[in-house]
Amino acid sequence: MKKRVSIILVCAFAIIMLAACADEGTTVADPTPAPAAEATPAPAADPTPTPEAPPAEETNPSDESDFDFDRPIAVFTREDGSGTRDAFVDATGVGDDMSVEAGVLTSTGAIRTAVAENELAISYVSVGSLNDEVRAIAIDGVYPSHDTVRDGSFPLSRRFLLAFTEESFADPLVQDFLDFVLSVEGQELLAGSWTPAVANPVAFTPSDLSGSLTISGSTSVAPAMDLLAEAYMALNENVQIDVMSTGTGTGLEQAATGVADIGMASRELREGELENLDYIAMLLDGVAVIVNVENPLQGLTMDQVREIFVTGTLRWSDVVS
Amino acid sequence: MLKFRETTMRIVFLIAALASVAAVVLICVFLFAQGLPAMGEVGILDFLLGERWQPLHRETPVFGVLPFILGSIYVTVGAIILGVPIGIFTAIFMAKMCPKSIYGFVKPALNLLAGIPSVVYGFFGMMVVVPILFDTFDMVDGRSMLAASIILGIMILPTVITIAETNLRAVPQELYEGAVALGASHERAVFKVIFPAARSGVMAAVVLGVGRAIGETMAVTMVAGNQPAMRMPYELFRGIRTMTANIVMEMGYSQVGSLHQGALIATGVVLFVFVLIINTLFSMLNKEKNIKDDMKKEAAETAAEPTS
Repeated sequence: MKKRVSIILVCAFAIIMLAACADEGTTVADPTPAPAAEATPAPAADPTPTPEAPPAEETNPSDESDFDFDRPIAVFTREDGSGTRDAFVDATGVGDDMSVEAGVLTSTGAIRTAVAENELAISYVSVGSLNDEVRAIAIDGVYPSHDTVRDGSFPLSRRFLLAFTEESFADPLVQDFLDFVLSVEGQELLAGSWTPAVANPVAFTPSDLSGSLTISGSTSVAPAMDLLAEAYMALNENVQIDVMSTGTGTGLEQAATGVADIGMASRELREGELENLDYIAMLLDGVAVIVNVENPLQGLTMDQVREIFVTGTLRWSDVVS
Repeated sequence: MLKFRETTMRIVFLIAALASVAAVVLICVFLFAQGLPAMGEVGILDFLLGERWQPLHRETPVFGVLPFILGSIYVTVGAIILGVPIGIFTAIFMAKMCPKSIYGFVKPALNLLAGIPSVVYGFFGMMVVVPILFDTFDMVDGRSMLAASIILGIMILPTVITIAETNLRAVPQELYEGAVALGASHERAVFKVIFPAARSGVMAAVVLGVGRAIGETMAVTMVAGNQPAMRMPYELFRGIRTMTANIVMEMGYSQVGSLHQGALIATGVVLFVFVLIINTLFSMLNKEKNIKDDMKKEAAETAAEPTS
């Protein structure tokens, strides 16, 4: 009996592996009409965002690569309510007109995976979340990087904000923590992965406070806040800080109603929210438009990006002449 | 003393029985109390037949769930088309034709299939089914109605097979023997006598499969693409969003007490009504089966009477 079961299991695994192989085999089947592809090797598209990169023509000559531009664009977006999506649609002017044809994925990781697996894909992620799986393209000729985000030349920039009410700002602990966030120590702690928002930070002197803080909000800001909270608690042993990643909208509401002491936002505050909340800018971040690494596209204009996300059913040849 | 213990245990059992009923009642009350006002505020027709869902639109939020209702129906029908034939043939095989040695392997495998968490199905769909579909059919993206239907088709197999098999086994052996005695082959007896006799039970299995498919959330969200777009049934290669996916994707962003949250709960109400209809259908089929059984018994009794 056991022998039979094991034999059948092995067969099952073999079938699954065959299926997986077949899948890889078929990816090669890619109609490539461009004969020039053989003569000149495809230009090695630089996957790392380099600020010095020449502001290449917005539309790249496509005949040097074997990427077939005559295929549809697979558009992916984040779900409604995501801070990254809000920042993206605000900056590009897509606004509320995001196409219903855009695939909706609920996390940065899912977006990166989808774009990495699909040659036709285009989407957007936070500059801090870029990696080798995907390639960031230039917007209006500027590549996303810490430098271009800091000097404001990258057009799809946003700020990470910390919001609080007047009452909560009256708490010396909240004030002291915000001072720490904006200090040399705090900003340097974050400089590795993000772009500090403060031009000339001052040094921080711990003032031995005690108590507890609740900080709630954007899932994009929470990793940075975790680092800050840990460092601050190391300096002030009697302070307990709880960081909850609940999403920008919820975090701001909790800050406004006093459930949280500080709210984290990955987009600008809206009019209704500004009525009872003040804020400081904690970090700068860019929203990078990403494509598959096989895609030789170098850059798009803001108008082209908007058109792609509003229409949702364009072909690559519609935007790349 | 004995009497006292008896009554105490009686009460304990009663409480246990009431707990599950109370849970159902509480869920109903919660759903309708929270969902119906939102549905009313949007307008029931605008809600059920609205083709656009933009809950966070800055000026005029719109809450139309028709795309999601259709989405749920499409993927469920797809799952039925793919899963039910396989399920029923498997059930017939397992109940009437399977050698013992193979049964000893297939049955535990089926039980295992039933026990796999849906997120694992979703992962399998994402890593295997979606890329295969993408390459085979030259789609814009593999996340599609078809991918969701395939995954759901696999997921309903254990439900369909187990219940259909039980019902096939419940058919009286006399029917089979009678058919064989009249000269029918084994296969003919199974397909022409036993299967029709168990038909309402097999239908019940299909209905429960529908219930499982329409309520599935995690796996579908991972492979369906989640586009909030109106689709036609033949747009198999396009992405789709189901009611369950819509709720799970946006619940985290809806502010407490907002119309958005109310609309999501109202989506839950619609789903609940669907499940209610399915369950009613199921119990009607079961009742029909019971009536049939009674009739059979009566017939047997009347047939037996003259000789006694």
